[in-house]
Amino acid sequence: MNNSMITAAASMYSLQQKLDMIADNMANLNTAGYKRKTSVFEDLLTSVQPQEDAFLLAGRRTPPGFTQGWGARMSAMLLDLTQGTLQETGLESDLAIEGNALFQITVNGTTAYTRHGAFQLIPLPNGDRQLVTADGHAVQDEFGLDIIVPADYKLVVSSDGVMRGEGLPGTLPIELGRIGLVQVLKPELLRSIGDNLYGVSEGTDIAQVVQPLEEEAEGVSVRQGFIEQSNVDLTTEMADLIAVQRAYQLSARALASAEQMMSMANNLRG
Amino acid sequence: MLRGLYTAASGMMAQQRRHDTVTNNIANLNTPGFKAMNQATRAFPDMLVSAMGGDNMRSKPIGRLTLGAFAEENMMSMIQGDLMLTNRPQDLALMADLLVDGAVFDASGKYVDENGNVTFQPQAFFTVQGPDGQQHYTRNGSFRTAEDGTLLTAEGYAVLGVNGQPIQVNISWDQVYVDEAGVLYDRALGEQLPGNPQLLITVVNNPNDLVRHGSGTFQYMGDPAGIRQMAEGDRIQVQQGYLERSNVDPGQSMVDLMAAMRLYEANQRMIQTIDTSLGKAVNEIGKIG
Repeated sequence: MNNSMITAAASMYSLQQKLDMIADNMANLNTAGYKRKTSVFEDLLTSVQPQEDAFLLAGRRTPPGFTQGWGARMSAMLLDLTQGTLQETGLESDLAIEGNALFQITVNGTTAYTRHGAFQLIPLPNGDRQLVTADGHAVQDEFGLDIIVPADYKLVVSSDGVMRGEGLPGTLPIELGRIGLVQVLKPELLRSIGDNLYGVSEGTDIAQVVQPLEEEAEGVSVRQGFIEQSNVDLTTEMADLIAVQRAYQLSARALASAEQMMSMANNLRG
Repeated sequence: MLRGLYTAASGMMAQQRRHDTVTNNIANLNTPGFKAMNQATRAFPDMLVSAMGGDNMRSKPIGRLTLGAFAEENMMSMIQGDLMLTNRPQDLALMADLLVDGAVFDASGKYVDENGNVTFQPQAFFTVQGPDGQQHYTRNGSFRTAEDGTLLTAEGYAVLGVNGQPIQVNISWDQVYVDEAGVLYDRALGEQLPGNPQLLITVVNNPNDLVRHGSGTFQYMGDPAGIRQMAEGDRIQVQQGYLERSNVDPGQSMVDLMAAMRLYEANQRMIQTIDTSLGKAVNEIGKIG
């Protein structure tokens, strides 16, 4: 009946979703390795009320039919994988990626991906140390195996991801393989699974989403002793927030005015 | 019966439609590539009113009268939307300022020559494969990639290349460069992607022949001769990493909204007035005492 009401209500709902998303981004302003989310809007279904040929009078510009839109919706939420700034920490277990790549992590037996490189070296019973994430998930090397640093050795990671263990002075360094890195081909198909981790939905071919990074890949380097900061830019988020809030307000005004019109119709026989 | 009653009712309905149209524009303030709609209202067909009765009993024409108004059509305003930087490689914006010989277009994209002939400014669109297999057109360049590498609109329609086939990219989009003509290059190698993909950009001579389909797509309903593929020298640019914002003007929309509401109110008052007159006719004419 009152299409304005439906349209305004539907778009207020989708703007609310965008507000929530902005709030999520702002809350993660200080989360290391966080990648901001962006949203895409599109207009909802348009209906065409048919008109007869008799409506085609001189001066008319469009084909017959009265088109009517029904608001907007958020059609997709996308990950913005742009580089965050690097912060130096000097810790041997902190790794940051520069360029398009993700670390491989073992979570409950399956592989997940992350940019959050604030790792830890936890001691194992035999004195060796294992590289794990802040939540205790094992970090994988390029073959998907755990990374173990033998006792008395210090982890050194070069910019191409090759790891070495450096022992006491006078001993030779040992090779520890290469850290597992994947290149993201289609970021739209990555799914956020919480704790700053990303996974691939079941039924999706993983090889189409991510592929192991070649050894001599250009534009990707690993920095030891650095942490990648969140790529949320507060200014952009605030600007977005203002725009969304004003759009919400405008929709609310349209709703209020539609409500007034209904009231006028009700009061016809005043 | 007072015929103004129905005239005012039709006015209320027309203003209600106008209100709906403006609300939809406001709802799409954030929709990339959205084109604002403007409603045109038309008067009901004229009728001739004649005076009857009187001394000589001959009908004498008084003049023309229309008995109301209706929402006739929703036209799209094809003004270029502002470009918004997103830095996302699959975000593509179209900028078009096409010329027609001898025509100087006004801000709304229209030119009227000395003889009153109207020429509309042609517009350029990305071409996508609609759900019915037909070609649809869109300005919403917020694309994404399917599992098999096909470039899709947010709704999931395949974006077509100049060969009429969907565009497929199987390397990371970070490495893809799209030039101003819509040709896809490999950024690292500096050469075209395998198969020389190029976006199919369609020029529609009269954008009024486009019918909105929702999800940002339009279908062409006019003469097939009125559309063509982008040619060399057309003033069209594809901008990678940008989105075209909605061209809805919030200020104008607010004014239109208030105007529609108040005109609705005016018609409502008219009905009340007529109702009062009818009440007098029913209850007071011939009243005794």
